[in-house]
Amino acid sequence: MSDGGARTDPTAEPDATRETGDTPPAAEAWEVFRREKDGDPMRHGGSVLAPDAELATHYARELYGRRQESVRLWIVRRADIVDLDDPDLLQPPLDRSFKKPGGYVMRDKLAAAREAAGQPKPKARSS
Amino acid sequence: MSAVSTGLPPATATALETLLRAMADDEFVIGFSDSEWTGIAPQLEEDVAMSSLAQDELGHAAALYGLLGGLTGSDPDALAYDREPADYRHCRLLDHGRGDWAMTIARRYLYDTADAIRLEALAGGSWAPLAELVGKLVREERYHVMHASTWFDRLARGGREPRARLLSALDELGPDAATVFTPLPGEPVLVEAGIFAAPLSELERRWRAAIGPTFGALDLPMPPVANEPERGRLDHGEAFAWLWGEFTTVRHADPGAVW
Repeated sequence: MSDGGARTDPTAEPDATRETGDTPPAAEAWEVFRREKDGDPMRHGGSVLAPDAELATHYARELYGRRQESVRLWIVRRADIVDLDDPDLLQPPLDRSFKKPGGYVMRDKLAAAREAAGQPKPKARSS
Repeated sequence: MSAVSTGLPPATATALETLLRAMADDEFVIGFSDSEWTGIAPQLEEDVAMSSLAQDELGHAAALYGLLGGLTGSDPDALAYDREPADYRHCRLLDHGRGDWAMTIARRYLYDTADAIRLEALAGGSWAPLAELVGKLVREERYHVMHASTWFDRLARGGREPRARLLSALDELGPDAATVFTPLPGEPVLVEAGIFAAPLSELERRWRAAIGPTFGALDLPMPPVANEPERGRLDHGEAFAWLWGEFTTVRHADPGAVW
């Protein structure tokens, strides 16, 4: 916040609250992402209200990490998130079933390609 | 477990007991004081944070009472709850009642910065059980100092009312701040045994050097030298008598109850 130099009327009474900062800084929302253990993806944990990144970090640590349930946190100002929920872009009205993988059987083609390349079928992943 | 099993000379064991009691009581009393904010802190997030800090301190107290109980053969719960108010050895800094948020932050800042210096002087000490515990405490207390510093700075720079309240809190608490470093009977024995890296008077100098730049930058008055420094862990007043009544309520409601 800067309020020096921009005042148009230098003789005007300064705005008391701005001058003293007695108005508490407004809290804003911060989204918290957490990693539960090494190797896991970052997952959305929830959000906190805080006036700045430093306090947001303290609160995220307390709300999403105090029970040792996280090894990493990302604390992101909600206003910095690029939000996309436009249904024209995400839920277009026309039939899109041809874009889905269902109905197109890959298995036989894949097996033939493996055989041609001399590669064994990989084992199923354990997790 | 008996006192003999520590293998410490009696004078060292006695001095160690005094030290552990002072530290445990400090953590216990500040933990209980801060738990009074649960449900009424300025903001939901801060409510969780302050309650969690309070729990941390009670956890530290439990660990320290555990060590003390091992030395003396006493039950840690009895150490925590079954003494009369006059027998507690926490420092006078923690005897002012909860007060407003500025009081709580000023107390936390003064105590946490002092406690950090004290722990630093105990890490790597020659009595392994304490040195090991201190290694763990230091890691949690690091966050406590961060949290207290964040708020201390905000109140000092936060405008007329927050700053006025902080100044008023420092006015009340400042003269008792250095009581964290109240000389302990048997202290030279601990230094000689390599349990404590330096005498408490030296730790107070280190603490003043550590917080000096912050007080300077925020243009706040440094805590003065403590009054009656030798009585810094005695003479607990009304505020502590009240707190003691609170934290012993459940214990006294059904003495000997098993959880």
